[in-house]
Amino acid sequence: MRDVAIVGIGTTKFKSRWLEKTYYELAFDAAKMAFEDAGIDKDRVDSAVYGIYNDFFQRQYQPDAFVHDYLGLGLKPMVRVNSGGATGGAALRIGYQEVASGLQDVCLVLGVEKCADTYNYELQMATPEVLRAILYTADMTYDNPAGRTAASGFALAVVAHRDKYGNPTEEQMAKVSVKNHFNATKNPVAQSPKVLTVQDVLDSRMIVEPFKFYDNCLYTEGASAVILASKKVAESISDNPVWISGLGASVDYVMPGNRPSIHTFESSRLAAKKAYEMAGITNPVEELDLAELHDAFTGTEIMAYEDCFFCEEGRGGELIDDGTVLPDGRLPVNLSGGLIGCGHAVGATGIMQTYEVCKHLRGEAGERQRQGARKGLVQSIGGTLCTWSICLVLER
Amino acid sequence: MNSAEREAWYRYQHEKYGIPVEHLRREFEEELSGKNPMDAPLEIPDKMEVVFKYSYGGQSRFFRELRENKTLYGAECPECGKVFCPPRSNCHTCYQPTQWKKLAGTGTIEACTVQHYTTSSFIKKVPFVCAYVKLDGTDSLLMTNMEVDDVAGVKVGTKVKAVYRELRLGAITDVYFKPLD
Repeated sequence: MRDVAIVGIGTTKFKSRWLEKTYYELAFDAAKMAFEDAGIDKDRVDSAVYGIYNDFFQRQYQPDAFVHDYLGLGLKPMVRVNSGGATGGAALRIGYQEVASGLQDVCLVLGVEKCADTYNYELQMATPEVLRAILYTADMTYDNPAGRTAASGFALAVVAHRDKYGNPTEEQMAKVSVKNHFNATKNPVAQSPKVLTVQDVLDSRMIVEPFKFYDNCLYTEGASAVILASKKVAESISDNPVWISGLGASVDYVMPGNRPSIHTFESSRLAAKKAYEMAGITNPVEELDLAELHDAFTGTEIMAYEDCFFCEEGRGGELIDDGTVLPDGRLPVNLSGGLIGCGHAVGATGIMQTYEVCKHLRGEAGERQRQGARKGLVQSIGGTLCTWSICLVLER
Repeated sequence: MNSAEREAWYRYQHEKYGIPVEHLRREFEEELSGKNPMDAPLEIPDKMEVVFKYSYGGQSRFFRELRENKTLYGAECPECGKVFCPPRSNCHTCYQPTQWKKLAGTGTIEACTVQHYTTSSFIKKVPFVCAYVKLDGTDSLLMTNMEVDDVAGVKVGTKVKAVYRELRLGAITDVYFKPLD
């Protein structure tokens, strides 16, 4: 295996609606930024990996082929990845394999998602139709007919965790929401910058118990891209490479009834464990400078603190109470605003998180810069009650 | 299931999927007439659909010109001069934004075939011609479904002109092509 570096990064703004762009036009914007950032021509790329989650969102099956064409990468090999909410992270993993294996020297990893072209004319809004498209990814025979959503799946896990350990409490979840919306105010690409109080979150309308409106991430349109390169190429073209020093992945049973329990996300724990082993990390809170975790919901961010071994199992709620994960804490989590503040453009999300960590490691994160950042974590999870999990450790 | 329940099931499926009740009844009776009906594979009607309010994004003007003004436009790269139809907001070679260019609406058949069998959506329209047209003043190929009485008369090299439908929806099918006589 060869060392793999990130030599170029780009992202569009994350918005609730990109009326003026199609999905492949968004992909083009992110790719162009990444090529310019790397200082290379698109033709320098040997292969591409596209993270695109939902064909219904794009109104296109096999959307990867149309992105590839639009980027002018015809005749180069490419593959499309689809792993639910973890699509971005999963695409990075495949891109890593492309380069680490020695098969390619330079690989574009690009995620894009455009969900709000779906529409419910009767209610005159997109969201219920977005959910309809998403729920085709629940088991069509047993789960989809029950009308469950992504939120209800994760809510069931959070409730099971709370029943067992007494947290996350609604106040702790609200604090996570306040933190991530506030972090988004420092991020120029974020969809949902807001200065909220804990009470604002507690008073927002109930969506799926125990998640209130501000406990949820929003649906987002956007594209993010990174360019991966072998050590040899990275050293010749880049003066600020970021190295992928750890990578772990695990895919759990998609039917939670086939798992030993639902109060913890075992695939997430395994992915983190493998990534830390590879990167030689034994004490994540001491050794990491920042983390971008998959906060689709505030409650699952708190579970993620445990899954990524920032604390013992069952004690996640304490880390938001004691300030560990705040911007000035020992291990700030989601300085980008996370999925709640920056947004969740499914295929792009894991790549946006990677973009964010790279910005800090390069010292280019402006107002939200984590001073002296050298090591960061990206956690990308998705699917029914966290089926897919990918963790990456990035270092400069 | 008693007969009232069964009739209700027929009615429900008929209303939801437009399946003739007679057909449902025949299927049901067949299904239960086998040796071990309870173990026989069970088939049910279903469909997957999502409704859109789809934005053409950077190609919006192309479809608006089609719908409002019965005019075809191409997208021209200011750097290499290539003209695309289907249009593109960016040239994939130069990575520059393109500019709109009005087209004459005439072109040449570059490749064509006759469809005698096709998808559910078009099965009642066979035979028809499926062709790639290179519009005059462009450097790309546009897929079209040609409405001609003489399908055998359309050949590679046939010169064609754009014809616009009376009912225009802001879709590529607002335009089709007929041989230039």
